[in-house]
Amino acid sequence: MGLSQKISQLREFLEETIKILYYYKSRVVFSFSGVALGILSICVIVTTIDGANKKAYDIFEALGPDAIMIFGGSERQRMARIRANTLTIDDADSLQKIGGVYDVLKVFAVRGVNMKYRDRKWQTQVVGATENYFTSYTWGLQSGSFFGSEEYNNAEAACVLGAKVYEELFKGENAVGKTIQIGRLPTKVVGVLEERGGTVGGPRIDDRVVMPLTTVMSRLSNEKKFLGMIRLKTSRDPEATIEDVKSVLRRNHGLEGAEDDFMIRSSKDVLQFVSVISGSLFLFLGTAAVVALVVSGFVLANLFYLTIQERKKDIGIRRAYGATRKGILLSFLFESVFITIIGGLAGVLLSIALQGTFEKLFDIPMVFSLKVVAFSLVFSFLTGVLSGLKPALKASRIEPIEAIRG
Amino acid sequence: MITLKGIKKSYFIGERELTILKGINLEIREGEFVILMGVSGSGKTTLMNIIGLLDKQTEGEFYFMDTFVDGLDDEALASFRNRHIGFVFQQFFLLPYLNAIENVLIPMVYSEKQIKHPRDKAKQLLEKFGLLERIHNRPSQLSGGEQQRVAIARALINDPDLILADEPTGALDSRTGNEIMELFGMLNEDGKTVIVVTHDPKLASFGKRLIRIEDGTISEDITA
Repeated sequence: MGLSQKISQLREFLEETIKILYYYKSRVVFSFSGVALGILSICVIVTTIDGANKKAYDIFEALGPDAIMIFGGSERQRMARIRANTLTIDDADSLQKIGGVYDVLKVFAVRGVNMKYRDRKWQTQVVGATENYFTSYTWGLQSGSFFGSEEYNNAEAACVLGAKVYEELFKGENAVGKTIQIGRLPTKVVGVLEERGGTVGGPRIDDRVVMPLTTVMSRLSNEKKFLGMIRLKTSRDPEATIEDVKSVLRRNHGLEGAEDDFMIRSSKDVLQFVSVISGSLFLFLGTAAVVALVVSGFVLANLFYLTIQERKKDIGIRRAYGATRKGILLSFLFESVFITIIGGLAGVLLSIALQGTFEKLFDIPMVFSLKVVAFSLVFSFLTGVLSGLKPALKASRIEPIEAIRG
Repeated sequence: MITLKGIKKSYFIGERELTILKGINLEIREGEFVILMGVSGSGKTTLMNIIGLLDKQTEGEFYFMDTFVDGLDDEALASFRNRHIGFVFQQFFLLPYLNAIENVLIPMVYSEKQIKHPRDKAKQLLEKFGLLERIHNRPSQLSGGEQQRVAIARALINDPDLILADEPTGALDSRTGNEIMELFGMLNEDGKTVIVVTHDPKLASFGKRLIRIEDGTISEDITA
């Protein structure tokens, strides 16, 4: 048999399959949508977990694996969203003396500060920080410069704008050297930060103004003693450093026998948090995907099984005209796999179309890759084979004389 | 072309053995037009199924085109049917989701023969049977006689050696039935071997040879 004949036979077979599926539309629609939903869930799982991992990696990268953050207030207070000031500048100074600690960043932030440039207004948080803020976060500038020790020591009204704030107040015009109103304080813009985007800490990361800690504490707020956060880096084992930090702070705060009135977070906690998120996502959507695929598989199998009776004569005539058992088996399996593969591809396309919605829902970027497509096709294929096998076997076992007798 | 020696066929219904064919000896040569006649339950359909390689005898030997076919497996039998036999059935058995010409082309999906331009050939056959304007119609849009002619075209597309028709006029009125039988006569004149299985005595005159089956044996074998 020539190759061209083989090919034309194959084409005819494919055309026939499509006609058959069109003829039995209702069955196809049900199984098709079930598989599409199942595969959609799988796509969302895979891309979101990839996205979560990338996000975790980005956070890790940005924070540095050696960063430790200390917040004021106990775990319980934080859970209840009570802001308690317990960390002091003295605490920060004594933490500096712990062995291995090489970078101590002091932060005091004021939220909801009104600012104004000409007629443009904006409201956001002002982060008061020590000079090492920018190096500690490895955050670069798109224009101007950071504030230095002169501004810091003199508590000057100087600020560095986050990309979002710059956009809102200056709309792309030059900002460096201009004066904006922050609260009631006319403040000189010395620099604009580069955009970090949604990769680290959500889109709000760029919505901030950074000023010298001294200025924020004394001139924006009347705070003399307490800090919001201390962030430090260590060259020692983070766990051991955390233990030291704990004992220093407990001693400073005189917490004999009482619970901690501060909270320590390390990069590891962030990673753990992300892995918990992706874990629960996997569990939730994974269950949904399995249920959708199993249900659609069953629906496919049963509707398929029912049509075998209806198609007995079809099978009989094909067998009489030269179809083998194996041929019947394969053609029925092919039908079922065809439905599920098309359903699977629809699921992939749907997940791409709904990417924006899901990203908003889970607040995690989805990362599409060939892996997702391969995953989806494998699962669709398996669903098709597993649900088509029993009906196809039944079809192949029908004797032509039994089918033709009617 | 076909040689049957001592063909017996029996079924078990529970404990009871039911013998349908009780030793058939028969030879059919190329170019014959045979009417295989018998009442319902005489065993004629079972005999047809065995000749058509759709069923296997319990005892006896069967040669088809000088091949001893009893030992062939499913795949070989399917290929044998495809190459040598064109089936026509009482209920036509056209596939509802295919149009006339696509139905005619069904055997080509399984064919190993080198048939050039099968689509043109299918069209020619349908034209020959007066169905040129119907080639894109679905079976549900065709009359009984038209459907049976499509089925006969399907039986011919792969150039079989034998046309095997089971009650081909059973679902048709007598005038249309006669037309179909005349069509078989034409095909026979073109050199095809034709076997028509029927219970209808009126069809006897269309063939060149009449074989009567009664109670599982051949009771009469007349060549005109």
